[in-house]
Amino acid sequence: MNITPGGVAAAEWTKFSSLRSTWITTAISVFLLVAFGMIASASFSGDGMTSIDLALSGTSLAALSVGVLGALLGASEYTTGMIRATLAAVPRRLPVLWSKSLVAGSAAFVTMTAGAFAAFAAGSAVLNDKVTGLGLGDDGVLRALLGAGLYLGLVAVLGVALGVLVRSSAGAIAILAGLLLIVPGLAALLPDSISEAITPYLPSNAGSAVMALTQADGTLAPWAGLAVFAGYVVVTLAAAAYRLKKTDA
Amino acid sequence: MVPGYQRRPESADCGTTIPAWREPSVVSMIQVREVTKRYGAKTVVDHLSFTAKPGQVTGFLGPNGAGKSTTMRMIVGLDAPTSGDVLVNGKPYASSKAPLREIGALLEAKAAHPGRTAVSHLLALARTHGISRSRVDEVLGLVGLSDVAHKRVGAFSLGMGQRLGIAATLLGDPAVVMLDEPVNGLDPEGVLWVRNLLTGLAAEGRTVMLSSHLMSEVSLIADHLVIIGRGKLLADTTVADFVTAEGVRVVTPAPDALRTTIAGPGVTVTSTGAEELLVAGTSARKIGLAAAARGIPLFELTPQNASLEEAFMDLTRHAVEYEASR
Ligand SMILES: Nc1ncnc2c1ncn2[C@@H]1O[C@H](COP(=O)(O)OP(=O)(O)O)[C@@H](O)[C@H]1O
Ligand SMILES: [Mg+2]
Repeated sequence: MNITPGGVAAAEWTKFSSLRSTWITTAISVFLLVAFGMIASASFSGDGMTSIDLALSGTSLAALSVGVLGALLGASEYTTGMIRATLAAVPRRLPVLWSKSLVAGSAAFVTMTAGAFAAFAAGSAVLNDKVTGLGLGDDGVLRALLGAGLYLGLVAVLGVALGVLVRSSAGAIAILAGLLLIVPGLAALLPDSISEAITPYLPSNAGSAVMALTQADGTLAPWAGLAVFAGYVVVTLAAAAYRLKKTDA
Repeated sequence: MVPGYQRRPESADCGTTIPAWREPSVVSMIQVREVTKRYGAKTVVDHLSFTAKPGQVTGFLGPNGAGKSTTMRMIVGLDAPTSGDVLVNGKPYASSKAPLREIGALLEAKAAHPGRTAVSHLLALARTHGISRSRVDEVLGLVGLSDVAHKRVGAFSLGMGQRLGIAATLLGDPAVVMLDEPVNGLDPEGVLWVRNLLTGLAAEGRTVMLSSHLMSEVSLIADHLVIIGRGKLLADTTVADFVTAEGVRVVTPAPDALRTTIAGPGVTVTSTGAEELLVAGTSARKIGLAAAARGIPLFELTPQNASLEEAFMDLTRHAVEYEASR
């Protein structure tokens, strides 16, 4: 009856899966992904967007939703006082953060990958006549769908890290929304030369690169983009780990 | 020397195999050693040292704001001491392979997510150590929460929240049980239940420590008292020693004659009225015999056992006044 990494992970899964809000938020995320994919696929009739782009047009909203799920998972430890029970059971502390990230990240990866495939299937079924349909065998399609799951899984981990770092649900959600939605808008206000240089590296732009069928001008290569986004997640996790380990609970 | 603490038998419902969790030579106890805690410029715990020993209930007393909760958080490593250190069962808490086996700590009411059921809450803690589901049900039964095991914690009363917290402390069948203000929010029946539970745990050889700001809550069950005020140790004593300090009230028409009669080393006599004396350092019996031998009439001869509550108030008055006057 010793403390083990597997035990801590199982405990974090119990915490995650025993909250009604987890299931509701996850269902909402999948719904957003599929619903937006279908609406965009059915209504878009111009050019410049592939059927994959259309099918995955719900990812930015789904990202917000899974990010919020992660942030709540992290911050609620502090807002409810549960952190004291948690850390008294796991006084080394860091395994709690790794396990929480693992649980939230894998759950989001699995459900969002499934959601991306569902959005693609449903979107293809209702695809506007003016857009060329694609199959799973076409170049880049599998990568884009799997990439969407990976990106959203990483967003959930980012949420956990922000929640543990700032210890407040509202604060973590505000930073998350700021990073994913507001920062790209702010960057556009900068002088063109600077804006063009940094835009591809902004979190949501870098992460979205993995979902593009072909690499557009001013974007990163698919896996490079995902790696850059993973870099942001790692840095945030490191900051969260530092605060968790070094400061009073 | 140390009463052997008999671990719960490794019954089938315990599930996992339990390795030797504690060498017999290691004493189960809490050792607080010269601990100081500052929050910014404010010193909340000030060079505090004491030991809570096995087989005893240690009452940790002090007025509100004395630093009790802070000390208890430091014992389980939630807050880091500014200086000094704490050993739980002879080693730093974080170095334990099975922390829930070392110490079960109730820190504050409702350290639980309101959206989880009682079972899920306990299961989440149990799983970290591979403690079985049946042990979770067992502790829920022990604290009388079986009927509401599947209710969400957010709907619990303060008293039910306390019971859930106590259930969590028992999960790992720990050698040390430490409870911060455990009877807060409990009804009289619940208070009695906690008393019996804690005396029972101590009788099994475990180390039990509970805090309170009220002497009346601990005087009935504590063997050992650690009293702090403004973070400083005020007394580290037994309940028995703490009460018998006041002296004997004597009323006599010849106080001066009695004074000379009973004078001796260690005896102090204070005049508290025209015919009244307060005598410390000797017993009522000796005073009575000495007076009789000299033919000094006594109208009254009363041992003054200040109540525990009074003694506690006297001891901590300064600390409280200081707090209040800021
Ligand atoms: N995290 C903290 N930051 C700043 N001050 C604190 C903190 N925790 C406790 N204190 C202060 O420390 C003092 C002791 O608090 P506490 O340990 O809760 O006392 P007790 O449990 O004996 O009532 C109080 O004045 C309280 O305001
Ligand atoms: Mg307190």
